[in-house]
Amino acid sequence: MLVRAVQAADLPALLALARCTGVGVTSLPANEARLAKRVAASLASMAADLAAHDSSFLFVLEDTSSGQVVGICGLEGAVGGHEPWYNYRVGLTVKASHELQIYRCLTTLCLTNDLTGASELCSLFLHPDWRKQRNGALLSKARFLFLAEFPHRFAPLVIAEMRGVSDEQGRSLFWESLGRHFFSMEFSEADYLTGVGDKSFIAELMPQHLVYTAFLSPAAQAVIGEVHQATRPARALLESEGFRYNGFVDIFDAGPTLACELQQIRAVRDSHVVMVTAAVTEQAITADAVLYLVSNRRLADVCYRF
Amino acid sequence: MLLFRPATLADLMAVEQLANEAPVGMTSLPANREALQHRIKASQQSLAAQVRCYGEESYLFVLEDTRTGEIVGIAGVVAAAGMSEAFYSFRQETLIHASPALAVHNKIAVLSLCHDLTGHTLLTSFYLRPSYATLPLAHLLSRARFLFMANAPARFADSVVSEMLGVTRDDGSSPFWDAVGEPFFGIDYQQAEMICGVKGRKFIAELMPQHPVYVPLLSAEAQAVIGQVGAPSALPCHVLRAEGFELSPYIDIFDGGPTLLVRTDAIHTLQQQRLYPIELLSVLPADAKPYLLANVAVAEFRCVLAPAHLTADGIQISADTAQLLQRQAGDELRCIALESEVQ
Repeated sequence: MLVRAVQAADLPALLALARCTGVGVTSLPANEARLAKRVAASLASMAADLAAHDSSFLFVLEDTSSGQVVGICGLEGAVGGHEPWYNYRVGLTVKASHELQIYRCLTTLCLTNDLTGASELCSLFLHPDWRKQRNGALLSKARFLFLAEFPHRFAPLVIAEMRGVSDEQGRSLFWESLGRHFFSMEFSEADYLTGVGDKSFIAELMPQHLVYTAFLSPAAQAVIGEVHQATRPARALLESEGFRYNGFVDIFDAGPTLACELQQIRAVRDSHVVMVTAAVTEQAITADAVLYLVSNRRLADVCYRF
Repeated sequence: MLLFRPATLADLMAVEQLANEAPVGMTSLPANREALQHRIKASQQSLAAQVRCYGEESYLFVLEDTRTGEIVGIAGVVAAAGMSEAFYSFRQETLIHASPALAVHNKIAVLSLCHDLTGHTLLTSFYLRPSYATLPLAHLLSRARFLFMANAPARFADSVVSEMLGVTRDDGSSPFWDAVGEPFFGIDYQQAEMICGVKGRKFIAELMPQHPVYVPLLSAEAQAVIGQVGAPSALPCHVLRAEGFELSPYIDIFDGGPTLLVRTDAIHTLQQQRLYPIELLSVLPADAKPYLLANVAVAEFRCVLAPAHLTADGIQISADTAQLLQRQAGDELRCIALESEVQ
């Protein structure tokens, strides 16, 4: 299996992939024009040294035995550089009265643009048939070697938005309790609109005042900062690399944003450059060999393998 | 006959009895002897005070059945709300959340905690025992306060508000409190009202949401009772609406009941009342009509609903009526005929 920079010829394969992502991967909408734009942006970013907020990188996972593209992952140089980047900051308000013997901790949601300028891990998707043999780890972590190699192209803080909890029909309990009242549309529709980049409606429609979660349904309160069941492995993987939930959640499904300083990402901190001493056949590698993530250190035709 | 007069400490037990009967939510009438005693004392001090600049004075009146000496109703006035402790309301506001691109145009109602009603004269503590709760007596108990205000206009603000009880369930719980207050405090409506009655409203109010509350997030049941008048307030609300009070954007922070608001000089009773000299008659003419009659006094204020007949020379009343009002022939009374639809 090989992770490499996306090429223009990958577009049909990407569209097929996007169609099976399901709701909640906002940065990978099943929209051909939008995907074509993302591929073009990646090619442009690889070709020139663009400013962080203008650069965007897409990588694909290729099954080298067949040449089939089975996964995708991306990196945004900086979020919020062209249109506002929104999160809810999960806060706390304490209501206390010694005299009344009342002490209540109330969770609050505050609409912010606090993460503007951070680099983002995005668009991670692996075809279900290839979710095995550590392909997911390769696909996700390959990006860290890219970050390690080209840190000047990224921000000091790297974030990743995790898909929040939704049911089999794609309904988000958080959305039903909050967003629906302000949008008069389905979660999937709002989610799609965000993915295709039309975000002005968020500022126009979302509550601008602090929201007390006590006013949301218990089910909605319970999913704030929680990831979708299918996203748990991805979250665990990022956490093993040093990423942590930092109190910011998605404004639609309340999925957590994980964050880590670029230089503190394990794969960035602990990776090192070594000379290739010998090329042997896979059969010749001894049984006690350890699995390594390896990159060729090049920009446009970058590729990664275990 | 029923006599409206200032409460005295001798009325304390009777007032406490009324407070016990009164529905939950009349926090201005706590079923707590110490608090009620304080209210009566404050009223007597206010009546005796030389008021140059109105402020935290409060007045408490009782309705006495003079045949039995029984106290059957109570009503109060606070010269200016929010002087001794902050007066909180929720203001109903509308925000438009619109996205032309998506063709979405949402009117979002929010509730903002405010002190806007500070300084308005506040009608409080209206309660009439059910066996006496007729429309004419409700008019007497409520409107006697306006005749009192006419005797001492400098003691009151140029606008008057009154908070109506909101809608409660049969078990006494409040849908509004359950949606707005309970999540904040973890205590139920009756507990909250009890705390307020004894300790004052500010204790709870200071803990209420400081940021606007988005109404669409509240339960449908809670949304439905915002600004709705509960059954126990139907009668006083009816009287005040007839006096020119209007629904305001303000609601009670506990039960969501509406606040009625009026310019003082637009109050029907204040506009229509006149002073006439007393003419005593042993037998009133057959076309005598019920009048609200009050003496022109402050500390010794008295008001009754009694038959009277207006002539070019003055107001003809019985000696009994004059005696209750502690006035004699030739003294002036403040008078207003009870409207025919009320009789």
